[in-house]
Amino acid sequence: MTKPRWVGSALGGVVLALVLIGGSQLYAAWGGMARDNLASQMLINAIVVVGIQVYIGNTGVLSFGHVGFGGVAGYAFAVAVIPPDRKATIIGNAPFGLADVHVGHLAGIVAAIVVALAVALLVGYALVRSGARAGAVSATVITLALLFLVHEVAVNWTDLTGGDRAGLSFPVGGALDSLWPIAAALVGAVVVARLFATSTTGRLAKAAREDDLAARAMGINPATAQFLALLVSVAIVAVGSSLRVWELGTITPRFFFFDYTLLTLTMLIVGGRNSVTGALAGVVVITAGNELTRYLAGPDVDIAGLGWLLRDGLSDIFLGGAMLGFMLVRANGLLDDWELDEALLRRWRTRRQPATDTSTSTSAAAVPVDPIVLRADEITVEFGGFQALERASVHAASTEVVGLIGPNGAGKTTLINVITGLVPATEGRVELGDHDLTGLPTHRVARAGVVRTFQNLRLFGALTVRENIEVAALAAGRHRPGAPRPSTDELLALAQLWDLRDRRARELDYGNARRLELARAAAAAPVFLLLDEPTSGMSDSESLAMIDQVRATAAAVGAGVVVIDHDLGFITGICDRITCLDQGAVIADGTPADIQADPHVRAAYLGA
Amino acid sequence: MTQLIQQLVDGLGRGSEYALIALGIAVIFGVMHLVNFAHGELITVSAYTSYWLFSAGLGWWAMAIGIVVSSVLTSLLIEFVAFRRVRGAADFTMLLTSFGVHFVSQALFVMYVSANVRNFNRPGWVTDVVTVGGVRFEVFDLVTLGVTAVTLAGTVWLLRRTTFGVSLRAAAEDFDAARLMGVRSDRVISGAFALAGLLAGVAAVFVLMRTGRASPTAGLTPMLKGVLAALIGGLGSLQGAVLGGFALGVVEVLLLARLPTAWVGLTNGIVFVLIALLFTFRPGGLLGDHRVERV
Repeated sequence: MTKPRWVGSALGGVVLALVLIGGSQLYAAWGGMARDNLASQMLINAIVVVGIQVYIGNTGVLSFGHVGFGGVAGYAFAVAVIPPDRKATIIGNAPFGLADVHVGHLAGIVAAIVVALAVALLVGYALVRSGARAGAVSATVITLALLFLVHEVAVNWTDLTGGDRAGLSFPVGGALDSLWPIAAALVGAVVVARLFATSTTGRLAKAAREDDLAARAMGINPATAQFLALLVSVAIVAVGSSLRVWELGTITPRFFFFDYTLLTLTMLIVGGRNSVTGALAGVVVITAGNELTRYLAGPDVDIAGLGWLLRDGLSDIFLGGAMLGFMLVRANGLLDDWELDEALLRRWRTRRQPATDTSTSTSAAAVPVDPIVLRADEITVEFGGFQALERASVHAASTEVVGLIGPNGAGKTTLINVITGLVPATEGRVELGDHDLTGLPTHRVARAGVVRTFQNLRLFGALTVRENIEVAALAAGRHRPGAPRPSTDELLALAQLWDLRDRRARELDYGNARRLELARAAAAAPVFLLLDEPTSGMSDSESLAMIDQVRATAAAVGAGVVVIDHDLGFITGICDRITCLDQGAVIADGTPADIQADPHVRAAYLGA
Repeated sequence: MTQLIQQLVDGLGRGSEYALIALGIAVIFGVMHLVNFAHGELITVSAYTSYWLFSAGLGWWAMAIGIVVSSVLTSLLIEFVAFRRVRGAADFTMLLTSFGVHFVSQALFVMYVSANVRNFNRPGWVTDVVTVGGVRFEVFDLVTLGVTAVTLAGTVWLLRRTTFGVSLRAAAEDFDAARLMGVRSDRVISGAFALAGLLAGVAAVFVLMRTGRASPTAGLTPMLKGVLAALIGGLGSLQGAVLGGFALGVVEVLLLARLPTAWVGLTNGIVFVLIALLFTFRPGGLLGDHRVERV
């Protein structure tokens, strides 16, 4: 890439925000005051929705709490900015001497950000601990709890908030009546959102959104990415909420409760939660729709016989109906993950396929790096009373291909799961060289260099083929010095996926998807590739081709291979050595020829 | 001591409502992997049904039957109109679909039925009190507990002894496998919604006898409490849902009775914080399974 990626995103963000601001001002220029207000409210809503998008879009976690964060920020802003003589009449007894505090608007917004971020640290910790991931219910309930808690505290802590009757209001003439702060904040919010989405953290978060388990197996720690997404997102929401309070000139608890949550979430969902452009499109569509329903329900319209249908409350039906309708028919919204700047930049980017020579170094042994040994020693795993593994040991050098075979239920996948930290071992140790991997979480095992694939393909479906590989490379731990590290383009070519590089991974057919999974694992700078049934569901000729594919890929990154498979032609064709498991224990270990001749192995397979 | 017993019984009575609603939510979650945030709409519909029946001059026996029937029918209707279309969709889609149903239904009631609260008479005995050994019990709590016990026993029998119940539990265990074994998914899912509607209907009878009012948001709080109870117990666990319901009821009553007056307004908030803490440290809930995802 000649130009850094972020320049395009930032420029795209500026363009997007300016289009929205310009459009709204044109519209406002037609009408009078009312449209002025509508335009500035729409732009403020856009800031809040873009903020929410940063979290929901990048992590896939459904949050009802962002408006709660907005409430915290809104009160912080109001308390900081409203002059003391005004506060004396509403909240004269404010705690912590807050009644005497008086700062400028900019400082007030900073204070709002700081206070909201402090709450976000707590909530973020709870979300991480609860195992938040795309669609997780406990995470949604935690955010819902925040929304209710903020509302209740605002209603009850009248010394600070003025309660739910009067609320806090600015002195007459104190409300915001200039477009500039809003416009500046919107440009900033959109640029930050686009930069975050294309940053390393943002892309790792999106990978985890698509498949939490696969992301961890590539060395991504979803918790870190989600936590950062939350902080960025809350900061933007805090700015938008402060402006909302400033523009309205007042705040009461219900301003930041269910109604506003429904409005902002519907905007995000309808436009497309996975893209910033979509979030802004949703803001426009819903604002326009809301105006239309208000007009239809108003006194100006009297369509014969429909009066009973069109009345107050129509806009609530419109919002709820839009949310429900899109979920039923087009769950990813109008634009899904389409981004304006990406679509423009794709036109400029042209690329040539790099030359790859897969004929050389077809054996992993050709790599001139000191071999490292992966060793799983005396592993025992008990599930309840069932012993899945009984003192099973397997070892492999990073210069060899080791097969793991055995009848169904022998414990092969469990052994891989123990090595990669998905299943805790009751007893035993896992070591890579002199590095102890026992009990490490999955993403740390992957970063240490042990990268796996899955029996049931787990690609990052909504990401493109190229992005799948790029993300794994981003997540990779520090690389072994001396080991080869092919570029994304080279891996694409090696996996014969060059022509499909801009397709979404979920659109690939089975064979291509398998090769992509292999290439993705190779991109994560592996010392070892652990492959769980790479040929399952393949025809004989396809699995023979897979032998070369695996060897070439392992050679290209200088990794050893441990492979589980049921296809004996594949296993004997690819392995230097085979370990055979039966009922949780190792019953044989040796060259493919030894194993084929071994009476125990035959007995296990034939059930004799 | 007598005060504590009184509060415990009171809490269990309140918890009965939560337990019945939560059990329905857990049953639906079992077959569809859907957390039904629209479950409260059954209560809202029931509330207006009882208002209309009351206005028509009917007594509480007829109202109770009407409530249960309307709850079952509404449950089936919601499944047919909305949830059938998102079967097997991403968790995010299903979560928001149920919220969407809730918002639309609430708006429809506000617009076309009534934005105002409608009141109807509560049965005369709701406020009666009996004293046993110096402890005052509310008759209403005792009746609620008794009927809930019978309903739960009936549900256990249904789940254990009938073909439908076995298919439902099989589907909750492993939906695909159950389908391969000949369980008909449409029937099991509709059945689950009907059962959930029935349980919510019984709960609604008590909720409405206690409050005597119908409003577009009548179902919101019971729904939230039911979802929370199901989550406290551990989603997917039927016993957990019932346990969670009772636990939630008792904790709420104890908080209400023992918090300093200035804090009573924050009861719900405190309950929410407790629950958030529970999820933070035990994401699977009290009885939730901690099964590792199969790979």
